[in-house]
Amino acid sequence: MSASARASLCASAVLVAVFLGVTTSPRAAAQQAVAGPISFSRTLYPIFEAAQCRGCHTDDGVASATRLHFPDATAAPEDIEAFGVTLAVLVDRDDPAKSLLINKPTNRERHTGGVRIQPGSFEEQALTEWVRHLATLPPETVAAARAQLASAAAPAAHDQRLRRLTHSQYNNTVRDLLGDHSRPADRFPPEDFVNGFRNQLRTQGMPPLLAEAYSAAAEKLALNAFRAGDVNNLVACKPSNARDLKCRDQFVRTFGRRAFRRPLADDEFQRYTALFASEAAKTGRFLDGARVVVEAMLQSPKFLFHVEGRTADARAKAEDYDVASRLSYLLWDTMPDEALFAAAEKGELRTAGGLERTARRMLDSPLARQAVDEFFAEWLRFDRTLGAVKDRQRYPEFTPELAATMVQETRLLLGHLVWDDGNFMEAFIADYSFLNADLASLYAVPAPTAEFERVRFPAASHRGGLLGHASFLSANAGPVETSPTARGIFVREQFLCQHVPNPPPGVNTEVPEPTIDRPLARRQRMQAHVANPTCASCHRLMDPIGFGLENYDAIGGWRDKEVIEFESARRNTPRKKVELPIDGAGEIAGLAGSAFSDPKQIGRLLAESRACQECIVKQAFRYALGRVETAADREAIKTAYAAFRESGFKFRELLVALVRSPQFLEGM
Amino acid sequence: MPLSRRRFLRSMSMTGAAIRVGLPPLAAMFNTNGTAYAAAADAAADGALAPRFVFWFNGNGIPERYWIPIETGDAYELTPCLAPLAALREDVHVISGIDNPNARVTAPGNTHHKSMSALVSGTPYTGRGAGGASIDQVIAGAMRGESRFRSLQVGVCQESHGENIHRNLSWAGADRALPPEMIPHNLFDRLFGVRDERWVSRKKSVLDAVREDLASLEPSLGQPDRQRLDEHLTSVRELERAIASLPTDYGKHVKEPEDIADLTDYPRIAKIQSDLVAHALASGQTRVASYMLTKCQSLVRLPWLGYTRLRHHDYTHTNADSPEGQRTMRDICRWHVEEFAYFIGRLKSIPEGAGTLLDTTCVVFAHEHAEANPHKDNGLALILAGHAGGMKTGMHSKMRNTVGDLYVTVAEEVFKLRLEKGFPTAEKKISGIV
Repeated sequence: MSASARASLCASAVLVAVFLGVTTSPRAAAQQAVAGPISFSRTLYPIFEAAQCRGCHTDDGVASATRLHFPDATAAPEDIEAFGVTLAVLVDRDDPAKSLLINKPTNRERHTGGVRIQPGSFEEQALTEWVRHLATLPPETVAAARAQLASAAAPAAHDQRLRRLTHSQYNNTVRDLLGDHSRPADRFPPEDFVNGFRNQLRTQGMPPLLAEAYSAAAEKLALNAFRAGDVNNLVACKPSNARDLKCRDQFVRTFGRRAFRRPLADDEFQRYTALFASEAAKTGRFLDGARVVVEAMLQSPKFLFHVEGRTADARAKAEDYDVASRLSYLLWDTMPDEALFAAAEKGELRTAGGLERTARRMLDSPLARQAVDEFFAEWLRFDRTLGAVKDRQRYPEFTPELAATMVQETRLLLGHLVWDDGNFMEAFIADYSFLNADLASLYAVPAPTAEFERVRFPAASHRGGLLGHASFLSANAGPVETSPTARGIFVREQFLCQHVPNPPPGVNTEVPEPTIDRPLARRQRMQAHVANPTCASCHRLMDPIGFGLENYDAIGGWRDKEVIEFESARRNTPRKKVELPIDGAGEIAGLAGSAFSDPKQIGRLLAESRACQECIVKQAFRYALGRVETAADREAIKTAYAAFRESGFKFRELLVALVRSPQFLEGM
Repeated sequence: MPLSRRRFLRSMSMTGAAIRVGLPPLAAMFNTNGTAYAAAADAAADGALAPRFVFWFNGNGIPERYWIPIETGDAYELTPCLAPLAALREDVHVISGIDNPNARVTAPGNTHHKSMSALVSGTPYTGRGAGGASIDQVIAGAMRGESRFRSLQVGVCQESHGENIHRNLSWAGADRALPPEMIPHNLFDRLFGVRDERWVSRKKSVLDAVREDLASLEPSLGQPDRQRLDEHLTSVRELERAIASLPTDYGKHVKEPEDIADLTDYPRIAKIQSDLVAHALASGQTRVASYMLTKCQSLVRLPWLGYTRLRHHDYTHTNADSPEGQRTMRDICRWHVEEFAYFIGRLKSIPEGAGTLLDTTCVVFAHEHAEANPHKDNGLALILAGHAGGMKTGMHSKMRNTVGDLYVTVAEEVFKLRLEKGFPTAEKKISGIV
């Protein structure tokens, strides 16, 4: 017996000793009274952790649809004990041996995650004992444990509330505030994607380089605003001279209200009029005073951050302006307009009716399109399509223009569903799309008569919905070959809101290259992912989704055969080509009845799956609130989902429902 | 085969002078007393030249067999990856065997995230960013320098997985990334853009107003939000500091880089950024810089090396242990060292006092891993370059120490600074560095 095997046996022996209640300290006795014969948190929990159950079984894990969700890794021991008791839901009280809690991890009953606990091991023995214990617990005990866990899971995890303008919001805001279309934020330090989006609170720090970028941009914007006089009429009055106090005060109040998105407080008004006065006095020019005020306000935290209310007016008024700003940046991706300011001023946003009316008015404005577009661009990672690199010899038709066309197709389909109030889930099954000639040729369908006209796919076509869009297929593929794994992860993360764990350390992620002596299809070469148990536990969740899309090549063209090209040893001799049959069967492991053999079918599976429908709500929530949802948000998400569903999955109704949530209204 | 040199020369001739910011004519760099501007600007009271620190990084690991010399001591043979340093052999100290223990602490994220956090800060990854201040920031803080920029962060290749920990080398503290300036024009403008007194006075009054706005906000907010505003305030103070002292006349001699049509022409951008950092150090605008040639877990493509099929990180895991895979990584890592050698060469070409800028500079060159494919985080190989504080050079040493030991030795023995809080993972200083 090897030393390590011996060590593990010893450890198991100790475990069993502890487990059998050999220890009789007062502390252990107390625990026995509450939680049973042993401490769940010290004995069984480590077994689950060692088996890496948490990798999938969390609220947003790939096993989120099951009834086993591990608490946060930082949970307190007493909450872990409670969690142990709630596992009773997986226990068959009449016949404990039939319990899922024992039969799933041992894979006696088919477990998507494979064998996590070896049958016959000490670990299994310990688990069996725990299952027997749970079978004896009265329902009240289990209910109490569930309540304890729920209350522990609702902490103020989002105590950070101060959101910064995103780069996109910055560009739009200076356009609407100053009439400047130069998009200065495109040259700022880039934003990170966190939780799938670029607007997440957690990433909105203010390092020196960014402060400097804001400073340089403010300087340029203010200079351009007044370079040729006051071309955009930022100063409404006509100043009689550089010291025209009335006109100065009027400018500071008017511009300040628009820049800070609420009326200025007294100290602010005094600060900026003083700044104006000193600069105008130095140069003798009124507009130089206005310019320095613009330059300063554009660097103020009150412009750059969405600062919670503080105005000279009553507190309630300030909240009205906060709500107006939040509405504006969610639904328009830019600052409020005059009508919205007016609605805030009149207190119209305080009533549910007024709020809803305003939100609907805003969604009818063309400005809403830029906002919803930005959400789609981040959610579906259009940047990856636009930045995709493809092998030039293999895919000569893949140009930056074609990539832009691919993104345009997806934008148009989603735009159509949103603005024509279609059923948003149709995005996954639409048997039509919006194509131009290049894309039609890639899809091998007849070209439309006009650019990006609506085209119905012929019945024989395999295409239907987003998963047949080249934007998705090419972004999630390599330069030459497809990537079933990347396509699978994308579906899991973007459409099912399930987080796929990272590969464990030390794992070699290479997929063997095909060789000319033994040319194998991509799917066959990825068998290692299934053969090696370490890889298989996660890859069987991702790869089979992508396998089902193997008939789409690395830029989204349809193929009946997988073509592998081999470099020729000698120059100027043609490459050798091998054609291999494609096995296009796939499944979404963990989703009942999800085997599919045609890409159209997976679209239907998603469109009809509650997990996917709910995921769209969660994605919109994350984007709207700038953070990932917590247990405390469950109610709000449920309400929004109900509204979305009842409306027949109208996306605009989802937005209206989110706007009405307490989370959004209170900015938390 | 010195493929690199050929390519390098070709890119020089293709782009001509634009490849470099013109080196100021030697005479122009000296004032009437014959001392260099940089020296005059930053000379300490006792006449000693102020030492500089540069933290240099590129992402992913190395092919050890082509990178780490076999022999130790001064008679070691330069490996294929280190070949570009042949002319600078006496200016560098190759160090192997350094351990990065906190890369192995259980934390969220993959082993690139974890190694990066532990490499730069000695602390475990937080799930969002580095767990503490990075070594360049610790040194900048201890120096208490009065230069125009407390420190500079510069980068070249952009492609990454896009998370904070991938994209940033310098950290002011836990989760507080200091992003690098990637665009040569922006960097030039920060350092040498033309400014006048009117500009300075306007900028100062603008920042006064911003600071007052910040102060008026603080009381009403919760703790995390207050921290964010503190960060904003710190940044505004840094801006004020940069504005308060205009660039010296030195800037007049640094040419603005020409427009770069191809923002992925990284060998060219790397050299421009190296030139600008060298000039920033020489003109005393900063004493600390970090230089991120490629991102952590870099996804850069390398067409100038003839590798177009995959991205760097893909190559480190694709047939990476085969002879062919090892050779690919050899060529990629040699390119990194080539750009590093260019930078060291630039420092050495700028006269300062009786010697050169390199004599007062210490550069630490690191990767997030040792052998790339297995993500090895012990036995890291680094290069120390320069002669600040009498650093020992011209040799290869195998150490049995941690990254923290190395950093503390650099801070305390090279720079004669006392790190009041030490540095995470540091237990003992390393002998043989100075």
